[in-house]
Amino acid sequence: MGEFKVHRVRFFNYVPSGIRCVAYNNQSNRLAVSRTDGTVEIYNLSANYFQEKFFPGHESRATEALCWAQGQRLFSAGLNGEIIEYDLQALNIKYAMDAFGGPIWSMAASPSGSQLLVGCEDGSVKLFQIIPDKIQFERNFDRQKSRILSLSWHPSGTHIAAGSIDYISVFDVKSGSATHKMLVDRQYMGVSKRKCIIWGVAFLSDGTVISVDSAGKVQFWDSATGTLVKNHLIANADVQSIAVSDQEDSFVVGTAEGTVFHFQLVSVTSNSSEKQWVRTKPFQHHTHDVRTVAHSPTALISGGTDTHLVIRPLMEKVEVKNYDAALRKITFPHRRLISCSKKRQLLLFQFSHHLDLWRLGSTVATGKHGDTLPLSKDADHLLHLKTKGPENIICSCISPCGSWIAYSTASRFFLYRLNYEHDNISLQRVSKMPAFLRSALQILFSEDSTKLFVASNQGSLHIIQLLEGNFKHLHTFQPQSGTVESMCLLAVSPDGNWLAASGTSAGVHVYSVKRLKLHCTVPAYNFPVTALAIAPSTNNLVIAHSDQQIFEFSIPDKQYTEWSRTIQKQGFHHLWLQRDTPITHISFHPKRPMHILVHDAYMFCIIDKSLPLPNDKTLLYNPLPPTNESDVIRRRTAHAFKISKIYKPLLFMDLLDERTLVAVERPLGDIIAQLPPPIKKKKFGT
Amino acid sequence: MVQLRPRASRTPASASAMVDEGQPTSEEEAEHGLLLGQPSSGAAAEPLEEDEEGDDDFDDEAPEELTFASAQAEAREEERRVRETVRRDKTLLKEKRKRREELFIEQKKRKLLPDTILEKLTTASQANNIKKSPGKLKEVNLPKKNEDCDKGSDSKKAKEKVQKGQSIGQNKSYVALRLRDQDLRDSRQQAAKAFIQNSLYGPGTNRTTVNKFLSLYNKRLPVKKAAAQFLNNGWGIQKKQNAKRFKRRWMVRKMKTSKK
Repeated sequence: MGEFKVHRVRFFNYVPSGIRCVAYNNQSNRLAVSRTDGTVEIYNLSANYFQEKFFPGHESRATEALCWAQGQRLFSAGLNGEIIEYDLQALNIKYAMDAFGGPIWSMAASPSGSQLLVGCEDGSVKLFQIIPDKIQFERNFDRQKSRILSLSWHPSGTHIAAGSIDYISVFDVKSGSATHKMLVDRQYMGVSKRKCIIWGVAFLSDGTVISVDSAGKVQFWDSATGTLVKNHLIANADVQSIAVSDQEDSFVVGTAEGTVFHFQLVSVTSNSSEKQWVRTKPFQHHTHDVRTVAHSPTALISGGTDTHLVIRPLMEKVEVKNYDAALRKITFPHRRLISCSKKRQLLLFQFSHHLDLWRLGSTVATGKHGDTLPLSKDADHLLHLKTKGPENIICSCISPCGSWIAYSTASRFFLYRLNYEHDNISLQRVSKMPAFLRSALQILFSEDSTKLFVASNQGSLHIIQLLEGNFKHLHTFQPQSGTVESMCLLAVSPDGNWLAASGTSAGVHVYSVKRLKLHCTVPAYNFPVTALAIAPSTNNLVIAHSDQQIFEFSIPDKQYTEWSRTIQKQGFHHLWLQRDTPITHISFHPKRPMHILVHDAYMFCIIDKSLPLPNDKTLLYNPLPPTNESDVIRRRTAHAFKISKIYKPLLFMDLLDERTLVAVERPLGDIIAQLPPPIKKKKFGT
Repeated sequence: MVQLRPRASRTPASASAMVDEGQPTSEEEAEHGLLLGQPSSGAAAEPLEEDEEGDDDFDDEAPEELTFASAQAEAREEERRVRETVRRDKTLLKEKRKRREELFIEQKKRKLLPDTILEKLTTASQANNIKKSPGKLKEVNLPKKNEDCDKGSDSKKAKEKVQKGQSIGQNKSYVALRLRDQDLRDSRQQAAKAFIQNSLYGPGTNRTTVNKFLSLYNKRLPVKKAAAQFLNNGWGIQKKQNAKRFKRRWMVRKMKTSKK
């Protein structure tokens, strides 16, 4: 496996922003997640919960509601009063439309998918018609006194329920008038609160309206008579979200205490037809408020202020008890936020609104295996680069020589030149970027820092020649006609001759940088690509997919390599295939061509192609090699996958030189310490 | 006693006396007649007695010997002083107004864009209106029309939106928009954010601090660790404030002395 000196970096103080909404799409089995900074992410639940796409956030665009309509169209609405539709192919915003009702709190698509309903700050409920490529205002419902915080359609589409402060209204869709107004009790454990906020409503097909409110109640109302049917007091704090399954036999609520409750419709006695709602299971996977929940046919999905997205499969719905039935907790983005300059030992950290540049520390001490060496020179914070404007950073990169930094927001591309003079550095912006370089999904510098590769969101790839403090546009690879899919991942060969680019679903394209044309396309695979890299000298393209498969493709021969074929024939170890975080980075050892270094959030692995592959009977996660065993046994048990789980959660790992590694960790405890305050809970004996 | 009568009527002490002025004289006379008849005691007599006492107090204070001339001189002096202050105030006010007016004029000048740009803007917007009216305007007008029935102000906003949507000038690197709309929108957004913050983290929401939460977690761990956040920002607030104030004062003093 080799021994390395490891820089263990823990000063990347990245805090993901809290989850505000989730929306589950049954047709494509995808999950849309919006965060408090306005970012929207799309997870593909059938591709091993991989975060396929993301739309960068915006300071003024605080998303409060998210929904799918007409199958694949995604809408969001927020406190700036705009309804936004996202273009899921080109990965940008199709249009934003003002609803003219002040901040929007809630949104719901009709069961048929042709209409969209928004609830606004001024108490109006507005109905929009969804037409191809646009939405069109249709009419207003009767104006209410206070803001509409939650909305739900009756499955037949004839009525809607709207939750406001202290009351729930039921509207008739045809006439637009309120048929019932159901007042909610402000009392909370005998104490009268100032107001009772209806955080969520759900309309069932039998006419029952379920409401959850800030007094900790889950209430069942009869919409025909406007009366309270049943009341469950489930929490000492707000109940903030509700989601009902499509069959209407179970629903899920999330509370501010971090608990998620599952309610099910069960028979009163063992063989009677009379059924009632019963609170069946509590789940405590969150530490902070659960702001949103969703109910997929097989799982409960919840997200909240503590930034975790939790997917909890329901055991009774899962047919095969395999690893898919396990709990998933997604905390970190499935893309790289860190880039590294090997030559100058610099790390560039990407945050939502700024970039940080650090120089790694160094040590003169030596020690034996497993020692922690004292630093003789501390890590230096060299640069704090703030973005202009309200847009979040999409991607960033530092050149391997450390003298260029590039980053992009949704509308602008920035390139900076760094000059080092002894101990101080100076930064110079390269002005007059060409007009076509407006927004990039991925930026990459070539190994010798003379070329810049930019994947723009129109699907084209730009190659730019970098000169001393200046640049020249060399070429643009246009996307193949008929495709609008944008490229999200790039890799360049160390000799600078080949460029590989992959989109979200189609195969990986390999371009020849010398001849400026498409060289070949790697056959498409069912699962999205999570990481790409081209090996030095051999020019083998290594591709990792979200189902943990790794392929090696020889670019000069335009075919898979022998090793790749062998491993596909034999199959990966079953424990390897069960890993739940995608491989986010692949690198190579400069002196050992047989090694491939890969890592995901919880492990780091060196794949040694010269060793035999493990079969399902061998131990995959080998502990550190015991020293007292004989060489023969060690050789017999050795296999190609050398896995280390010392560093976790691991956000980035790369080789600085032959004997030095850098690992960037982000302990979860540090993230919790920077989150908003949680609800106080009494623990016995404290 | 009879002498007191006119005085009592002169002081507008009781509102009732003022209100029913129709019948008064005869009644009063009758009352006083009665009073005259039985002067010794009774409820009605009390106010009169009080009056008498008040008079006595006044009499006690009154005697103070002043010659007429000195009093007159004093009065004149006073009058003169008052007149002078009024005049001074007036001139000061005038001056202030003048200065402000000048400032306004200057500000207005500063705010205005150079004439050339203004001219360009007006011509460009007119051209845009003519050009885009069939296509773009109609599009935006559709929601606007529907909105009309809802609310007058909404429709107004829609019109403003139309103006906002047009990028003015040939240079596409900027969009002209009315700042007032933006302010309104921002303030509404701020209010909405304040509402959500207040209802989630405001008073009565039973929140703890992150530090307490983590220490509770730490207490139940088999291996005890150090606190997540060592620094308590709540310590010595008063002292810090005092130091801050002292520093500010010291700087002001220093600047004054250096000026001199």
